[in-house]
Amino acid sequence: MISLAGRDILHAWGKFMFTGVGLGLLIGVTLTMAGVYRGMVDDARVLLDNSGADLWVVQRETLGPYAESSSLNDDVWRSIRGMPGVTRAANVTYLTMQVRQGERDVRAMVVGVAPGGPGEPGQPGFLVAGRHITRSHYEAVADVSTGFRIGDRLRIRRNYYTVVGLTRRMVSSNGDPMVFIPLKDAQEAQFLKDNDAIIEQRARTAQNPRLNRSGVPGLLDAVIESQGTNPYVNAVLVQIRPGLDPEEVAEPIRRWMRLTVYTRAQMETILVGKLIATSAKQIGMFLVILAVVSAAIVAFIIYTLTMGKIREIAVLKLIGTKNRRIAAMILQQAIALGVIGFVVGKIAATFWAPFFPKYVLLMPGDSVSGFIAVLVICVLASVLAIRAALRIDPAEAIGG
Amino acid sequence: MSLRTALLDRIRALHGSMSARSLALIGILLPLLFLFLYVAVRSGPLAPVSVVAASVETQSLEPALFGVGTVEARYTYRIGPTFAGRVQRVDVQVGDFVKAGQVLGEMDPVDLDDRIRAQQAAIRRAEASALAAEAQIKDAEARRTYAAAQARRYEELLKAHTVSKEAVEGKQQEYQIAEAGLSLVRANLAAARQELARVRSEYDVLRRQRANLQLVAPADGLVASRRVDPGATVVAGEAVVEVIDPASLWINVRFDQLRSAGLRAGLPATVVLRSRPEAPLSARVLRLEPVADAVTEELLAKIVLDESLASTPAIGELAEVTVQLPPTAPTPVISDASVQRVGGRLGVWLVEASDLEFRPVKLGVASLDGRVQIIEGLTNGQQVVVYSERALRPRSRIKLVERMPGVSL
Amino acid sequence: MDSARSVLRRGIHIEGLRKRYGEGDTAVDALKHVDMQVAPGEVVGLIGPSGSGKSTLLKCLGAVIEPSGGRMTLDDQVIYEDGWKIPDLRALRRDKIGFVFQAPYLIPFLDVTDNVALLPMLAGRPNGQARERALELLNALDVAHRAGGMPSQLSGGEQQRVSIARALANRPPVILADEPTAPLDSERALTVVRILNRMARQYETAVIVVTHDEKIIPTFKRIYHIRDGRTHEQAGEARPIE
Repeated sequence: MISLAGRDILHAWGKFMFTGVGLGLLIGVTLTMAGVYRGMVDDARVLLDNSGADLWVVQRETLGPYAESSSLNDDVWRSIRGMPGVTRAANVTYLTMQVRQGERDVRAMVVGVAPGGPGEPGQPGFLVAGRHITRSHYEAVADVSTGFRIGDRLRIRRNYYTVVGLTRRMVSSNGDPMVFIPLKDAQEAQFLKDNDAIIEQRARTAQNPRLNRSGVPGLLDAVIESQGTNPYVNAVLVQIRPGLDPEEVAEPIRRWMRLTVYTRAQMETILVGKLIATSAKQIGMFLVILAVVSAAIVAFIIYTLTMGKIREIAVLKLIGTKNRRIAAMILQQAIALGVIGFVVGKIAATFWAPFFPKYVLLMPGDSVSGFIAVLVICVLASVLAIRAALRIDPAEAIGG
Repeated sequence: MSLRTALLDRIRALHGSMSARSLALIGILLPLLFLFLYVAVRSGPLAPVSVVAASVETQSLEPALFGVGTVEARYTYRIGPTFAGRVQRVDVQVGDFVKAGQVLGEMDPVDLDDRIRAQQAAIRRAEASALAAEAQIKDAEARRTYAAAQARRYEELLKAHTVSKEAVEGKQQEYQIAEAGLSLVRANLAAARQELARVRSEYDVLRRQRANLQLVAPADGLVASRRVDPGATVVAGEAVVEVIDPASLWINVRFDQLRSAGLRAGLPATVVLRSRPEAPLSARVLRLEPVADAVTEELLAKIVLDESLASTPAIGELAEVTVQLPPTAPTPVISDASVQRVGGRLGVWLVEASDLEFRPVKLGVASLDGRVQIIEGLTNGQQVVVYSERALRPRSRIKLVERMPGVSL
Repeated sequence: MDSARSVLRRGIHIEGLRKRYGEGDTAVDALKHVDMQVAPGEVVGLIGPSGSGKSTLLKCLGAVIEPSGGRMTLDDQVIYEDGWKIPDLRALRRDKIGFVFQAPYLIPFLDVTDNVALLPMLAGRPNGQARERALELLNALDVAHRAGGMPSQLSGGEQQRVSIARALANRPPVILADEPTAPLDSERALTVVRILNRMARQYETAVIVVTHDEKIIPTFKRIYHIRDGRTHEQAGEARPIE
């Protein structure tokens, strides 16, 4: 016995492949959408992994430093360093802003890291080019997704920084690439205003008679100087001794230092549950709609393919083909279409995913589920078509 | 040809044509399948991680320390009055060169001149009093001499029983009165002399105060700022004019405490002024401040330029300073990009024939160009991972490449 | 006598066939009483105006619809007697009845040989054997040179011949031809009739040709007229066609 499905495909292979490719692109879009969702969640996870921290210490009663702004004094880290179980504590600042290079500017998250060298919390874990920051000022390590190269001069607020190293996949929870600069420069960038604002502030201070007293020389200068210091950071990143329970180390810090401390798990809940929740839901809903539409289109295509063969099916039935064989033909075609579509879709998704501005994560698990879903949809769609085919009266082949 | 043979030929021909078409379809499907498998295996989490490796080399490093500082003058003379008062005149402008002892300005004397004149009058009066007292002495001395003579004379007469005892006692008493009168007058003279001295001293004080109203440059220098203009009131201790010595500029540099091991006086340094970034200047460390900045966690040091510049840089200008430390002895050296912290320990990923192993190391000195000494843990020639596409784990599959894909340098 | 009877019993015999559509007041008797027999090798015509029950009879003969009463015997086997006596109608159609339609109705995605070989394959024959049989038939119908082509590449007449070959592929005892010559001109129509006659003789098949084509009606030896659901036999002109 020959394969009717196979012969039909062979005969109209162009149309079949064309349909398969079209279907494949649709499936590819759906897979990509799932990848976008996963990418968003992965951005959040990667942000937490890359910070190299086990605990995040932030301003009391805030959800900082990523979900909410948080401000700590920059000498708090010393007390934290002394708490039991803490092996390393480092100040860190985060500020999302435009970083200028030449003619263009890029939206990036500028991270201020204490120049303790590689391995310190907050420092990038691995590089893809160049080296780590060695000088205490005016050097930067940027993520490759910024498009910057080694040696580029970046302008952040009032200073210029030379790119000395590149990293990969160091992004904020929003997908913005990170640029690492020394902590003091970052504090200045975040908390020090621009020149015009500073001059205005000095003038305003000088006009205040209580600060500008002629009987106390040096008072005005002292006040203006104190206005120019930047003793704040956004968070302290803490690494604990391996083997300890993070909650155990966090609890004393919360109680005695009256600060808010989050463990990795809690940060993940905040990021995924609060920060990206809305976007994730948005994409999730779109994904569902896309999947439903894809299913409908697959069903429609298979149904149409079958209905286009009404005459042949009637003749086959008349000359004595079993219903089973006809059903098998339709089912085999549907599954073949599904397989081709999935293969095309997976390939397309893999090749166009890197071009998306934000990270698209195509997980093998999703591909497997997608494949199963495609097969199930094809089978269900073919059921519809098979029912229609079986209802065809062989007598139709005999003209009235 | 029999029918059977012809039929068999036909069957063979049919199979042939069928196969051609099947082959064509397979020609499309098979590459598709390969592409699919390639995609499945080579991308995503299943793919091997591209890494760039480098050998550990034995080198000597030239470590350096980097800090940012400001140009300051070594000596800043803040010249102002010791009394609250009004500035009468300022004789110099910013940028003028002054010599030691040069009068730069003067405060308003107000009533000081009058008080000086009053004091002078008081001096003259005290002098007159002293003169009067001296004259009185002569008078009192004469009286005493006469009283003494009279007392002697009457004592003689008593011996002759010419006068009465009362008369003799009377004359003796007159003598004592005259004696006392002389003492009194002498005392008056002393008092008047003291008064004169006191008034003279007060006069000196006023004179010195008057001199103090002048603002005088204590040394040669350049007027850096003119804080106050004539007519303004200043309090004691407030600077009216600031004078600096332009030949004695230094750069006050802050070094991060974490990375300033080895900083000491005498080391050579390179200075890049912010306004002249393309002209680095040679300098040396003058001294390391004994008191560090505990708040900003920085060490302070003073750097002096080897040659003074033709055009003096502005005070307060930022300068980037790189201090060269002596080169280290040759030791195994790697790029600091290789150093990672895994499981709480600092180390590198060792590559041995596409097997990966995390080796903890002990680091030594680092140079500013990103190379770091390995004191313990690696030997010359071993391959370590420098760059990787993703974070590595002990079981990651790796693929050695020359350059990281997707990174344009 | 037995052999004579068995010759008589082969072919197709229909006695008192009835077909009623619907029930009660709206019932329609499409066939009221049909008697028909066709011997192996015979080619008879079935003629009737539209609405006469012609297509209903054909559908009953083709075991596509169930009659309401009567008896149908095919190849010495009672297939219907007030109810189907054969459990698998599909197999019946496949093995015992050949269909030739107005249009060739070849399966467009099978090549000519496989179109014909499909029936033996469905009957369980191995592919090689089925194709051999197909080639035999195609040869007999003078279209063997088209054996490897797709139906779309053949002319109308060639396609019609292939469809006849398909009808004969399982050596059915009866062939039902429904207006096989309707779209053809007289020469081609006569060719088809010629072929049918030849095939009928060669493979000892009873052939019933439903037609109203004036061009070929004179060629039949026997004709069944059907009107108002009743048939009556008539001798045909039997004009020679060779």
